[in-house]
Amino acid sequence: MLRYDSTSSSAGSSSGSLSSSSSSSKPPQQDIDGLLAGAGYKVRSSELRQVAQRLERLETAMGNSPADFSQLASDAILYNPSDLACWVDSLLTEFAEPPPTCSSDFIVDPVNNQTVVNSAWTAAEPHTPQVHQNITYDEQQSLDNQLTVVTAMEEDSGIRLVHMLMTCAECVQSGDLSLATSLIDDMQGLLTHVNTVCGIGKVAGHFIDALSRRIFQGMGGGSVNGGSAFENEILYHHFYEACPYLKFAHFTANQAILEAFDGHDCVHVVDFNLMHGLQWPALIQALALRPGGPPLLRLTGIGPPSPDGRDSLREIGLRLAELARSVNVRFAFRGVAASRLEDVKPWMLQVNPKEAVAVNSIMQLHRLLGCEQTRDSPIDTVLSWIRGLNPKIMTVVEQEANHNQPGFLDRFTEALYYYSTMFDSLEACRIQPEKALAEIYIQREIGNVVSCEGSARVERHEPLAKWRRRLSGAGFRALRLGSNAFKQASMLLTLFSAEGYSVEENEGCLSLGWHSSPLIAASAWQAVPAWDNHMSSS
Amino acid sequence: MVQTHHCEDHETVGENKEKRPKFFINDHVDILIEILKRLDGRSLCVAASVCRLWCTIARNDSLWENLCFRHVSPPPSSVRSVVLALGGYKRLYTGCVRPVRSRLGRMRKASWAGDEVQLSLSLFCVDYYERLGGSNSNGRLVGESSPSSLMFLCKPVNV
Repeated sequence: MLRYDSTSSSAGSSSGSLSSSSSSSKPPQQDIDGLLAGAGYKVRSSELRQVAQRLERLETAMGNSPADFSQLASDAILYNPSDLACWVDSLLTEFAEPPPTCSSDFIVDPVNNQTVVNSAWTAAEPHTPQVHQNITYDEQQSLDNQLTVVTAMEEDSGIRLVHMLMTCAECVQSGDLSLATSLIDDMQGLLTHVNTVCGIGKVAGHFIDALSRRIFQGMGGGSVNGGSAFENEILYHHFYEACPYLKFAHFTANQAILEAFDGHDCVHVVDFNLMHGLQWPALIQALALRPGGPPLLRLTGIGPPSPDGRDSLREIGLRLAELARSVNVRFAFRGVAASRLEDVKPWMLQVNPKEAVAVNSIMQLHRLLGCEQTRDSPIDTVLSWIRGLNPKIMTVVEQEANHNQPGFLDRFTEALYYYSTMFDSLEACRIQPEKALAEIYIQREIGNVVSCEGSARVERHEPLAKWRRRLSGAGFRALRLGSNAFKQASMLLTLFSAEGYSVEENEGCLSLGWHSSPLIAASAWQAVPAWDNHMSSS
Repeated sequence: MVQTHHCEDHETVGENKEKRPKFFINDHVDILIEILKRLDGRSLCVAASVCRLWCTIARNDSLWENLCFRHVSPPPSSVRSVVLALGGYKRLYTGCVRPVRSRLGRMRKASWAGDEVQLSLSLFCVDYYERLGGSNSNGRLVGESSPSSLMFLCKPVNV
């Protein structure tokens, strides 16, 4: 499941200059890895994995015996450091390391310099090192090789795929479309050697598709966004079920809204993207049970207009109303159909000045960002009328990624890392068809980030730091999400037994990530009452 | 214990006659309820298969209410009407509280007990909402009729 992580770490340790290689136009030579050659090291592609392992072992050995290390620095003579494989081996023998036995699960005893093997392959006890000494180096190496040859080939192909993806993206950025096209063909050939069911193969496949769509179909990307509203709702619903990101978003926002509504009898929630309204049952239930009794709750849901006569907004409203009636909460629903958020005008929301307003935006604000920083960009217009509503709270949940940079290669690199992490986390999901449809949902995002430009590119994710600056500049101040929200988020994550998710608190905002890479961030804001408030109201 | 008849001992015969009708727990439903109230969820389900009387009693929602709030301070009275509206305590326990408690039990912190129930209630409400959608909508908004919102609780994932 974490195979991509390990390949990326070994790729990282052997070629730190991945993104800044200068020899991008040279096709990779027969056997020598092209990108490392650009950095001045000659390593055979077939040996990349072993070299990376030995480098890691060297690092461990250096850490374990600092005395030897200083001796090494002063006394050792090292030949030809550009031949990385030999160089690492010679250093390892300086440390009197025995030759590599298993690829994992061994403990090096620095005092005795013996390797005590814990692996099941050799079926030996860790307390009888003599048994291991009987297994000769050659035997162990061939065992090692047999068992790791499949994964080594796959991991090499995985590393190579990543290299080729980066090179292809550079070609696209510089306009060398002929080389990009041939790289796409090569990569598609390489995909047959890689497991595309999980890991790097799956993500790479999606990125290759997106790149080829960009090259061959231009950047309108109509087919990517062409999904109907109905399809999008279904994909979104399955994404909600398959992984905890949306649940985290909903529960955290609800907790903040609940706390902000404390003491108010007339409350109004504006949801920027209603979908199936899955966020609101929990809030309705919490309001029903709050001490002092439930308030009058009005919900205004914004969503795309539905074709062929169905009024999906109204249907969702009716369902929510039935739920509210069951739990005795006075409820009123209003639907606002708009295909773009910037088309919504504040008068459509019919906000009563006496009620407490909460604005809820789950992954919608980034769609308003344009590429040019003009004065009246949609985001500024919308933020100013939100401020004019004087909401008690505005909950903002956004992807924690930097996918709105002007340079294509930077965007591509970020997206590759971000979506690989997200796909890794999705591996933990076992329920079908939720997992497959969730993957399609993510795939559409990838397609939009990579293959669309201009107004067609709506997935313009920006990291929390940028949103903080933007929202503070627009007259909002941050509200801290309290400890209750953090506790609830932690509990929710523990229920997803996959123990890779982590919640972090960052200056009052919560972010959810996979193995400490944050993927989604939730924050709460309030309009600053300013002396020029009347000028910014619509 | 062997009971021997002593015809000449009238007191003993009298005692024996009084002792002969055995104690049937089913005749004392209030005691039965008190005992069943203290069982855990699994035992309660097993108890429901004993006989019709036990089945009827075990289906009584107040027993399950007891289970849900056993380790928690008694909830305000408004909770009951909400839970009953959303499907009842037995459903709340078997669908939400039990899996939540067992999953969080590994990392249980003492302060979480009340929050576990709160979270269970919220998840229960989302589940009810999805069940509403399955029966009402003709378009396939939710997919199968069985809602999948709680699937992640049902199928523990081993990574």
